Amino acid sequence: MKISYSWLKEFVNLNLSPQELASSLNQIGLMVESITAAGEDTVFEIETYANRPDTLGHLGVAREIATLLDLNLKTRNWPLKELPQTTAEMVDINILDPQLCPRYCGLVVKGVKVGPSPDWLKKRLEAVGLRPINNVVDVSNYVCFSLGQPIHTFDLSKLKGGKIKIRKARKGETIRTLEGETVELDPEMLVIADESTPVAIAGVIGGEESGITESTSDVFIESANFNPVSIRQTAKKLGLSTDASYRFERGADPNAAPAAAVMAASLLCEFGGRVSKGLLDVYPAPRKPRTVTLRLRRVNELLGLEIEPEFVVKILTGLGLKLKEQGPQVWTVEIPSFRVDLEREADLVEEVARFYGYDRIPSAITPVKSFELPADRKRDRVWRLKEVLFHHGFDEVINFSFTDPEKEQLWQTGCQPIRLQNPISAKLSILRTSLLPGLVENAVWNFNREAEGVHIFEVGNIYYWEQEETHRENLNLGILTTGLRSGRTWKETEKQTDFYVLKGAVEDICNYLGYENFSFEPVEHPFFEPGQGLRILVKNEPVGLLGLLNGNLARSYDLERPVYCAEIDLNELLRKQPRTFSFQPVPRFPGTSRDLSFLVEDSLNYQQIQQQLQKLNIPYLENFLIYDRFQGKALPPGKVSFSVRFYFRHSARTLQTEEVDRAMQEIISQLKSTLKIQLR
Amino acid sequence: MSSLLKKIDHYRQLFTEQVSRVKEAREVEELRQAFLGRKKGHLTLLFEEFKTLGPEEKKNVGQMLNELKSDIQNSLAEMEQKLKAPARVKQLEDLTLPGRQLYWGAPHPITLFQREIERIFISMGFSVEEGPEIETDYYNFEALNFPPHHPARDSWDTLYINDTLLLRTHTSPVQIRVMEKKKPPIRIIIPGKVFRRETPDPTHLPMFYQVEGLVVDRGITFAHLKGTLEYFIKALFGEKIKLRFRPSFFPFTEPSAEVDIECIVCGGQDSACRVCGGSGWKEILGAGMVDPQVFKNVNIDPEVYSGWAFGLGIDRTAMFAFQIPEIRHFYENDLRFLRQFNRR
Repeated sequence: MKISYSWLKEFVNLNLSPQELASSLNQIGLMVESITAAGEDTVFEIETYANRPDTLGHLGVAREIATLLDLNLKTRNWPLKELPQTTAEMVDINILDPQLCPRYCGLVVKGVKVGPSPDWLKKRLEAVGLRPINNVVDVSNYVCFSLGQPIHTFDLSKLKGGKIKIRKARKGETIRTLEGETVELDPEMLVIADESTPVAIAGVIGGEESGITESTSDVFIESANFNPVSIRQTAKKLGLSTDASYRFERGADPNAAPAAAVMAASLLCEFGGRVSKGLLDVYPAPRKPRTVTLRLRRVNELLGLEIEPEFVVKILTGLGLKLKEQGPQVWTVEIPSFRVDLEREADLVEEVARFYGYDRIPSAITPVKSFELPADRKRDRVWRLKEVLFHHGFDEVINFSFTDPEKEQLWQTGCQPIRLQNPISAKLSILRTSLLPGLVENAVWNFNREAEGVHIFEVGNIYYWEQEETHRENLNLGILTTGLRSGRTWKETEKQTDFYVLKGAVEDICNYLGYENFSFEPVEHPFFEPGQGLRILVKNEPVGLLGLLNGNLARSYDLERPVYCAEIDLNELLRKQPRTFSFQPVPRFPGTSRDLSFLVEDSLNYQQIQQQLQKLNIPYLENFLIYDRFQGKALPPGKVSFSVRFYFRHSARTLQTEEVDRAMQEIISQLKSTLKIQLR
Repeated sequence: MSSLLKKIDHYRQLFTEQVSRVKEAREVEELRQAFLGRKKGHLTLLFEEFKTLGPEEKKNVGQMLNELKSDIQNSLAEMEQKLKAPARVKQLEDLTLPGRQLYWGAPHPITLFQREIERIFISMGFSVEEGPEIETDYYNFEALNFPPHHPARDSWDTLYINDTLLLRTHTSPVQIRVMEKKKPPIRIIIPGKVFRRETPDPTHLPMFYQVEGLVVDRGITFAHLKGTLEYFIKALFGEKIKLRFRPSFFPFTEPSAEVDIECIVCGGQDSACRVCGGSGWKEILGAGMVDPQVFKNVNIDPEVYSGWAFGLGIDRTAMFAFQIPEIRHFYENDLRFLRQFNRR
């Protein structure tokens, strides 16, 4: 909202510099966003709030500044040159829907010479960014931006039968607006109609037909009050926001309507007009003023202050509130109709605080009376998991939660996507059902910008319809690795990433989060190349997938290099109870190790061997490590060789060679029966 | 007799000569074998010869022989000590070559900044809460005292899923969810993703991060709000940062405030500053005393309890703190941007 300094001076005598005025406005919350010199005038762009329609006119701003500076508002007179006829003789106002139009005031001004406005008026309007049109339209804007009360002017001769009906539109009715567009009205919209047709969309915009033109001589002034919700819904439906609708939807002051009509009429007298006798004021159910009880104790309790009662009385009175002492330091406060925001005691506390000055309120430490540890460790574990990934050299990314449905469809995530009703664009119109498409796009972005390797992860929600009407958001982890893992150094050649880089990271997440009971099983999934995907199981329940990205999918992003990626359901993973830590005594006696190489059928994989080895029941066997797997021409066909190192230890003494020999014999014999091993 | 003395002399010379040429520990061992070897060592043989001498001769020669033996032993031991350690280590050629560095992944700057904020509040006894990103109109607006069809909603331009579901426009609905479940005292912060129907530009995006704070207890005042936020901002931006509180409007707080901090880019000196627009102040957060209607909506008696709340945009604050010109950088995930943040 633009405020002109000269215009403000019509309401209050000020002799502050523009800078001083700006800092005063800031103190009371009328935040000055810019100060612009405009000839002799200065224009302030101020931030206004949705609950303060009273500040949408110069009068309201003047009232605030006058209260702060302890000045009086000027009273202005609006003399009228009256006609002998009464308004009622010329027009007939009929409110058919008093819910949507609580008050309607009208005056007729005859014999107005329509033409350009005088300079003083043009200057006022131009200062606040309005374009002067003609003296009649300019007067209505001047009144609106003075008092914050929108008024509308009609060409009286175009109002058929001199009738003004405030009613809902009828089905099928249309109107051509002042902006020259024909709009269809619907029966929820309030209109101003004459005998037969709508002549204006109430509180939003006038009709072209009944508008003021060069040939207008008799003007009907409308100064009314409309229901804020109705105006807002109409304006939204029509996609129109006007100076009038902006004020009405915030709640205009019904008691400003008569004064605004008179002010407009008085100004039109300057252009040859003569005003009908007696304001026609239709106000079927006059609103009773609101009262609020204010306790000084409460003011001090909420602000942490000791404020003098005199200060409270002075400020609130200055703002137009009427205080009546109800008891010691307790008042019944009558709220003026222009302050729609003041409804409760807390609202009045804010008024006191604003004018006292937030900067003068002392600062204190918020007292703590109890302490509390977080109920669950989920957040800590998510951070732990990120640390594991940082350690493995993965960078963290964050992608938008919205995505392109066409791209997402290629992934066949199997989740029913959630569509936005009013997306920013078609490419951002659904919520992601997987983290991987975003990670792949990040890889593409970086490869296009000189990156040679991309190793990234994201922790974030995916979203989908679980059933019809039941939505679900789920915390997932996505990991991607592609391209160069490390560059060339004097010590080492460059290395490409591979599947086991990814798998190692996934395994370490499980290890370092205490989920030691994890395993993998082959899975066919549209994300991956056939036979190149694994499902991750923790405690035998699936928590995620990893594998080599499907080639067709990669090519649809113009990715040539192999991409390895994983997606883990963190809600599922972190729900599981990690192993509870227990201290193991540090060994006091030396251990010993033995290696064993053997052949098995090549249908057996590492994990199956490992699971069988874990089942061995051998005294003093502390641990084992499968350190080699070999397959090739040197071996009999259909066989694969594994090498295992077994570690033995006795907790209370050094083991004898013979004991270890016996244990190895036992291992060999058990593996011969379980894995059908052949010693090499 | 004299022949034996001569031999002693000869071997003493021989030893002195040979020991001076020794360069490796291996050669020390060879010398030891040559002179002191059990069967064929030069001295062993001399001792054999010595046994054949008569008692008079033995007296004189014995002393010489023993001296020679102990001299050789001492000399070899000394030599061995000297050669032992360095001989086994290979010398490095260029110690200034770079060491084996490990690449440590970079946390996203939003994560980093969020953790920094959390750290400060946790040190003040706050705990961290989270809530859903898909919200209902009730939690996102109505319970927070936004009447239906009120223009106040315009500042929270919303992405809707259907008539009741939407993407939360702020973290404030979590205030309601926590207060519904928990009785005061409440002392929490709520970080998270929020969504607005904003067309992307250098300072606006349809998704960004916020952190919300809420304190509810008996006797909580605006002075507590000020004191706590002042401490927080100074912890984040340094002790010397200037800040100001000014009145504002939020439906869910009354009185409401906005907090500006002095522009750390231009310090108010540049009238064309792209960060503060020349005002010298940068708006950083919104705050206020919890609105009594919000308390009523969660069955907390506003006559008994009071509270304060604040909300801050993590992205914008991080942009300001790190002087990042465009909010878009956060979600482009360019590694040249992201990797800067593991050096912080």
